[in-house]
Amino acid sequence: MTLASQVFANRQAAMAGHDSGSQHQFTGFQKYFNSYTIIGRRNYVIATYTGVALLVLYFKFRPKKQAPAVTDK
Amino acid sequence: MNLSFFDQFSSPSLLGIPLVLISTMFPALLIPSMDKRWVTNRLSTLQLWFINLVTKQLMSPLNNKGHKWALILTSLMIFLLLINLLGLLPYTFTPTTQLSMNLALAFPLWLATLLTGLRNQPSTSLGHLLPEGTPTLLIPALILIETTSLLIRPLALGVRLTANLTAGHLLIQLISTATVTLFSTMPAVSLLALLVLFLLTILEIAVAMIQAYVFVLLLSLYLQENV
Repeated sequence: MTLASQVFANRQAAMAGHDSGSQHQFTGFQKYFNSYTIIGRRNYVIATYTGVALLVLYFKFRPKKQAPAVTDK
Repeated sequence: MNLSFFDQFSSPSLLGIPLVLISTMFPALLIPSMDKRWVTNRLSTLQLWFINLVTKQLMSPLNNKGHKWALILTSLMIFLLLINLLGLLPYTFTPTTQLSMNLALAFPLWLATLLTGLRNQPSTSLGHLLPEGTPTLLIPALILIETTSLLIRPLALGVRLTANLTAGHLLIQLISTATVTLFSTMPAVSLLALLVLFLLTILEIAVAMIQAYVFVLLLSLYLQENV
């Protein structure tokens, strides 16, 4: 975010509150994962970090294919 | 010994004794000490008025918890302002041209705002990593972008101050060298360079004040998100 947009967003947040999630009524999956309520946004962030961590762990610990040993006959 | 254009930025020392501490602490000597009188002299009144103005400007967007940071932010602002302005005097070393000093100021303060947020309101702090109303498909990318933006903040803070001041000082030195060198051969061009130098000095005074203000303002904005 540019400095100007950051200043504007923060001033707006200070005036209007942290999020505008109160007027949204979500059900099901969107009740916990949405981009309007602070809890929904937090859950998305945690899910993304978990996904990235799982990807890193998968590529780090996946079994490497071993080439068959070359023997002299 | 032959000096290069970058020798003005080398840390000062006298007979092997580093003088950087003296040059960093010197601005504090210029601030009048606390007076027990109710009505103080003009200088103290002016200083107090200015500090009050700065504190009100910085603290107005923050809530009561954020007001605990008033002392450190205001003193940081006065410190940077004085160092930057004093550095514009000829042959004066400017400590804020050193990246080490600016990063030493930026990184711990940024980290303190981050840890304050994660400690006191972890959900809100994490939630701010995703802008409100983001379309679903863009969410993972934007979270990664916002995380990168968060982690790069201390570097940006430090490098912004360093680069602005270093570039300004270098420009002043280049144009003043051109003015002096051209004086004997092309005095008209030298006069033009002198005019440019005058305007540049005014610009650098403004930049020195603005950069100190921007540094502290950004820190207060980062604090606002986390408190």
